[in-house]
Amino acid sequence: MAQPTLTNAPPVAPAGSPPAPPRRRTRNWGAIAGFLAPFVVLFAAFYLVPIGYSIVESLRTVTRSGTFGPVREVWGGFTQYATVFSSAQFWASILRVLRFFVISVPLQLGLALVFALLLDSPVLKGKRFFRLAFFVPYAVPGVIAAIMWSFLYAPSLSPFSLLAQNVDLIGPGLVIFSIANIVNWVFTGYNMLIIYSALQAIAPELTEAARMDGAGQWRIAWSIKIPMVFPALILTGVFSIIGTLQLFNEPLVMRLVSSAVSTDYTPNMLVYATVNGGNYNLAAAFSVVLALVTCVLSFTFLKITQRRAEG
Amino acid sequence: MRTSRPIRLLAAAAALATIAVTAACGGGGDSSGGGAAAGAGSCAPAPAGTKVDLTFTSWVPGMQKTVDLWNKNNPDIQVKYTEVVGGNQGTYQAYTNQIKAGTTGDLGMIEFDSLPSYRLQNGLANIGGCQPAKDGIVNYPDWTRSQISFGEPGAVYGIPQDVGPLALYYRKDLFDAAGLKAPATWDEFAADAAVVQGKGGYIANFMPDQPAWFTALAWQNGARWFTENNGTWKVDMADPKTLQVADFWQKLITAKQVNTVPGIGNVEWKALDSGQEWTLIGAPWTAKLLETNAPSTAGKWAVAPLPQWTAGGTAGGSWGGSATVVWATSKHPYEAAKFAAWAFGDPAALALNNQNGGQFPAHNGQTDLPALSKADPYFGGQVIWTDFAKANDQVDPSFAWGPTMTDTFDTLSNGFGQAVNGQGDLASVLKNAQARTIDTMKAQAIQVG
Repeated sequence: MAQPTLTNAPPVAPAGSPPAPPRRRTRNWGAIAGFLAPFVVLFAAFYLVPIGYSIVESLRTVTRSGTFGPVREVWGGFTQYATVFSSAQFWASILRVLRFFVISVPLQLGLALVFALLLDSPVLKGKRFFRLAFFVPYAVPGVIAAIMWSFLYAPSLSPFSLLAQNVDLIGPGLVIFSIANIVNWVFTGYNMLIIYSALQAIAPELTEAARMDGAGQWRIAWSIKIPMVFPALILTGVFSIIGTLQLFNEPLVMRLVSSAVSTDYTPNMLVYATVNGGNYNLAAAFSVVLALVTCVLSFTFLKITQRRAEG
Repeated sequence: MRTSRPIRLLAAAAALATIAVTAACGGGGDSSGGGAAAGAGSCAPAPAGTKVDLTFTSWVPGMQKTVDLWNKNNPDIQVKYTEVVGGNQGTYQAYTNQIKAGTTGDLGMIEFDSLPSYRLQNGLANIGGCQPAKDGIVNYPDWTRSQISFGEPGAVYGIPQDVGPLALYYRKDLFDAAGLKAPATWDEFAADAAVVQGKGGYIANFMPDQPAWFTALAWQNGARWFTENNGTWKVDMADPKTLQVADFWQKLITAKQVNTVPGIGNVEWKALDSGQEWTLIGAPWTAKLLETNAPSTAGKWAVAPLPQWTAGGTAGGSWGGSATVVWATSKHPYEAAKFAAWAFGDPAALALNNQNGGQFPAHNGQTDLPALSKADPYFGGQVIWTDFAKANDQVDPSFAWGPTMTDTFDTLSNGFGQAVNGQGDLASVLKNAQARTIDTMKAQAIQVG
């Protein structure tokens, strides 16, 4: 699961320092432009242009004169989008990753929260060790992790042959759980660290006051810490939604051992297969719709959780 | 904090969009194709005294050594070689992008099943008019010539590199101990399958993720999946010949007499090395993989001809095989054709390709190579290459590939994956793949009749 890198929010134009005389302001503009240029250029080249290009491509379609005649791309209106919306494959893959989300994310974030609270509580000994140990799987590249786990799952390769031979971990029924397990193994520690740093930011006076009022560790965790890290939980939740919809590496690698993972198993795999098949326009339309679906789901999640946080 | 959250979310969502979008548009620039294909006949050598530089990509291990030999002997035609990953591991996508951008260079390697799709993208030069290609191409078997000409008389869209005629690798020791001999027909194969099952093994692996393997078996039975006539295609993937092959394997799958794990990978090697699978229906290129990945069964294997549908038959199919093409963007098609005809036709070059890359050459002179007339201890001292040369002569020349094979193969492997897991059967997979292939071709503005 390709978790998006934590990009900083786009730098906002530095708010003008104390109002300066008009003469100096013109010089300021040059400085502002100079400082902004690297960002704007890169932002446009690797952000806006690809998105724009993709949208343009998604509105085009190919024609050719004769089978082996020259290929031309022409305006196709919403032809590709009509294909996307009638594509059973695409919506099946979206439903599959949503099911995956239900299987994977609550457990993943739940564990991340528990681990973070344990690390934060005074009860646990050897915190530095555990903090590193929980986080180490995230340092393993996703593909390597998937290869490793796929070897553990495959009945003929697994060192735990008794389990792997009697439970079909890579069959059509369980393979989604097996993939979820890989993803959870990699990302629990990562999410734990985000929640843990939020816990670190809680003012010690709060917990101290609670303790003086007679609250135990459980009570402090439940009534102080968890509500205080709720924004961090929302953040990890949103990242998980995005990451789940982008699921790609793990199922692709699982194809090497499992015949139950198809080339259109996740939306991203479908896009990849479509590009490989040479149908760029359709792949672009898939991507645009996938991006919109992701936006809608992320915002919905945000709205619901915020309402809960406020209410 | 609260106000900045939606901004951060927006940034994250935009980041997602960028990732999805960049995945979708690897290409760029001129989308009208990398120039028209060079017409056959217009192929003059560069004026004497000019130095020509060519580029060449392939994924044959050690091909650099062949190129070095050429560069040493041809100071005026220097080839710059790049080794790339296998076609389906990313190189085909790179080719497609390069064609879109008009930066394909001079020479590249393409497997036979993908040739039509690159011709469709107007990527290939017809070097039929280049003297070296014209002279060289007569020395290749008929079936490979029909692959690279698409049935057009005189057309040459590539020089055949290697071939994948199917034969039966089998565990001679296990067959002997069970009182069986190598099955000569598919009926015998099915009968043996029951015996092998009784001994706790599988006679073979039906590889759900290797649709080209299944295609080769249908090819053997005389299937003609794709025919093209005056620019209109006919798709026939669910014909009686193919369905006969599908039903045959479906019965074995249902009876659990064949393994159904992904092929040509660790899971299958383990099954072969441990003696769980008794045969491997494979191509010449499979030999080296088998030797490397099933070392504990050395000396126990032998190679027999592919079982036949009729007793005494001599039909064959090919799994894999490739050609070196001259790209339509090449400014020196004559020199490029000259290099390709040498690299995959000259005995010294073929010997190097075989020695370093394990290639079984398409060229008719393949069995004259000293390396390919040696007995192999892994196969109990058998000279397996003579058997493969014989199998190669039996490959049916009239099988042609379609223009959207990547998509067709995806549909097949996804369907086969479900079928071996008990969801649907092979016959319905083929019918579905047929319908889906027609849809895909139409979406690419290809005329389907």
